[in-house]
Amino acid sequence: MWSEITKKLQETVQNIMPQVEAVIGWERGFNEIRIKPVVIKKEGDISKLVWNPFCVQNLSGYLVKSPAVIPREGRRVAICVKGCDSRSVTALIQEGFLKRDQIFIIGIPCSGTVDWRKVMKRLERSSVIHRAEIKDGRLMVEHAEGVEEIPLREILLRRCLRCVYPNPTVSDVVIGETVSPHIEKEDLYKDVEAFERKSLDERRKFWAETLSRCIRCYACRNACPLCICQDWCIAERRDPKWVTQKPTLKDILLFHGIHALHLAGRCTECGECERVCPMEIPVMFIKEKLNETTLRLFSYEAGIDSNLVPPLLTFNPHETGI
Amino acid sequence: MVARRKEKKSQNRIFIPLEGLNQTLENLSKHFTVWVPMPSGENEWSLEFKPLHRGCKILLDRQSTLPPKKVILPQGQTLIEYEYKKSESDPSKQDLVLREVIDESPIIVFGTRPCDVRGFLVCDKVFLQGRYIDVYYRARRLNTLFATLFCREADDACFCSSVGSGPADMEGSDIGITPIDGGWILEGLTDRASEIFSLCDCEAPDEKQIEDARRVQEEVRSMRVGNLRTDGVLEGVKGQFQNMELWRDIAESCLSCGVCTYVCPTCYCFTITDEPQGLRGERLRSWDSCMFYQYTQEASGHNPRPTKLERYRNRLGHKFSYFPLRYSGMIACCGCGRCIRSCPVSIDIRQGVERVREAHHGCVCS
Ligand code: SF4
Ligand code: SF4
Ligand code: SF4
Ligand code: SF4
Repeated sequence: MWSEITKKLQETVQNIMPQVEAVIGWERGFNEIRIKPVVIKKEGDISKLVWNPFCVQNLSGYLVKSPAVIPREGRRVAICVKGCDSRSVTALIQEGFLKRDQIFIIGIPCSGTVDWRKVMKRLERSSVIHRAEIKDGRLMVEHAEGVEEIPLREILLRRCLRCVYPNPTVSDVVIGETVSPHIEKEDLYKDVEAFERKSLDERRKFWAETLSRCIRCYACRNACPLCICQDWCIAERRDPKWVTQKPTLKDILLFHGIHALHLAGRCTECGECERVCPMEIPVMFIKEKLNETTLRLFSYEAGIDSNLVPPLLTFNPHETGI
Repeated sequence: MVARRKEKKSQNRIFIPLEGLNQTLENLSKHFTVWVPMPSGENEWSLEFKPLHRGCKILLDRQSTLPPKKVILPQGQTLIEYEYKKSESDPSKQDLVLREVIDESPIIVFGTRPCDVRGFLVCDKVFLQGRYIDVYYRARRLNTLFATLFCREADDACFCSSVGSGPADMEGSDIGITPIDGGWILEGLTDRASEIFSLCDCEAPDEKQIEDARRVQEEVRSMRVGNLRTDGVLEGVKGQFQNMELWRDIAESCLSCGVCTYVCPTCYCFTITDEPQGLRGERLRSWDSCMFYQYTQEASGHNPRPTKLERYRNRLGHKFSYFPLRYSGMIACCGCGRCIRSCPVSIDIRQGVERVREAHHGCVCS
């Protein structure tokens, strides 16, 4: 199944190659469960492209973050997007970072991507991975010390288990069959609601424990397609100085609070911030709360309609409900 | 009792049974701060070194996500504390009171791997063996002992044997730990070990256990982990310095985050900031990363490494070329593979080195 979609993807790219500057997609990484982004610039490299549930990265940041691939006059940059990634592209267009006619969107319906750490947890050891295959909703891993079969659902990223837009919301071509989401839309914020039912102490304890693991590597910030300050982030600025360089909970909390607030009403819940965290901190969860609020107050979801202006990027004196 | 103690003191090997590990280390923790690898959180895959506490879960069966780097180079280290106080001699003036913070408390890091210790051997060159000695680093380094595992847990990101080390490399370690059936054999490698053994309250291993350990060590010694070739990189980085196409090819997908540098046992770059709080404050040394834009931002506004391409070039070049050129050939990478495993976009430093070599050798031929 994955090899068929990969083949179709390569054929599609073959066809559009003459009109595009480059194609941003995925290729195999250092083993079969670790895939990495690739920028294809010549026909000879098209065979590197793959699509399968290990293609975790949201590639849309590469369209805007320096040194981005800028198309020459009259040409476009092609990009492969999953459902969630397509919303990032729309959000970037909404905010004026991208022009729709500069990009060619290859949409791929996605039934969920794999959290490699969850796979390792199932293997219970670090081991050389020889082969990995996903078939009929199960992952089969052949590693140095044996073979393990795991139901796919148990190793999907948290973002995928709560995804309601698995099919690209914007695209120039779609590869593969439409898929159905894992959850109903009304359940989108049920984790947030459940968490809010906990006592203040429990919630404080949860964040104190998880956030104290943060090493301030800023991967969450840099991987976010919409974290556009990046190199000029308050987290590292000395003048004015907002956050100290101490790795204490207070400073970590402040950084994450600011990070989340800067994404309020802009975050598309692509989950990259959380996926890239080496310390497995569920940082998207903070943004989910803000998005739940945005939805409730403004009936707004980021990255769906490219004609809308995100609520906090505009001002309406007649605003009701707040 | 006294006689028994004496006998223990002279022994160079002890056996710790599986169920006796926590107790043994708790005994030690009365005299040392004992750092051990343990899970970062309840359900997490990541492991990190933390000070031992009663009943903690010690995990010795795989490499830690974060290296023990912070034991000696804390992520945030107070160098000096200061305070402004009303002057006693002249009430219209303030006195500045300074206090240097040097930590000399004794530490044991238990369960390091050869790559972890190799990381410190690299940092030693910079902090201890140059023209300037870093007193803060030295204080901690000289008071820290390492008990290191003969490592049998290499995965597909490890390549320690390619960079001058290997899974049985005990250089820099004070105690060797060999996992055998039912427990671990600890073997003294430096004079400092016998002091530790005398505090452990453990039995000496029997003949069979010694034989088992010998076999495990032999097996580990015969392993070659990784097949990276590094010939030509030294000159290659220099030769390819301006070849931005090459660096784009290697690092185009880089996010310019700090993961690779912060999980790396040999990345030692830091920044120094003053962190005031009212009339008092501290001068702080904290981890910095050459992958950050601000790292090379100059006061003039100029930045010599404006994009991630120049920054990645520095990371690779520093480890595989500039450092060995300066420090008698030592590669500043211990081959632990942490940067490869934890990189959000799976950038593989081995592949980068490979590309540089290819480009370099290509140049030589044509
Ligand atoms: S904050 Fe996280 S989930 Fe939201 S857009 Fe950024 S990376 Fe995606
Ligand atoms: S990626 Fe994780 S460890 Fe790094 S700064 Fe973000 S939350 Fe902290
Ligand atoms: S190589 Fe990977 S870990 Fe290092 S800065 Fe780039 S994206 Fe981050
Ligand atoms: S560069 Fe990577 S492989 Fe080398 S020591 Fe650092 S983290 Fe380990």
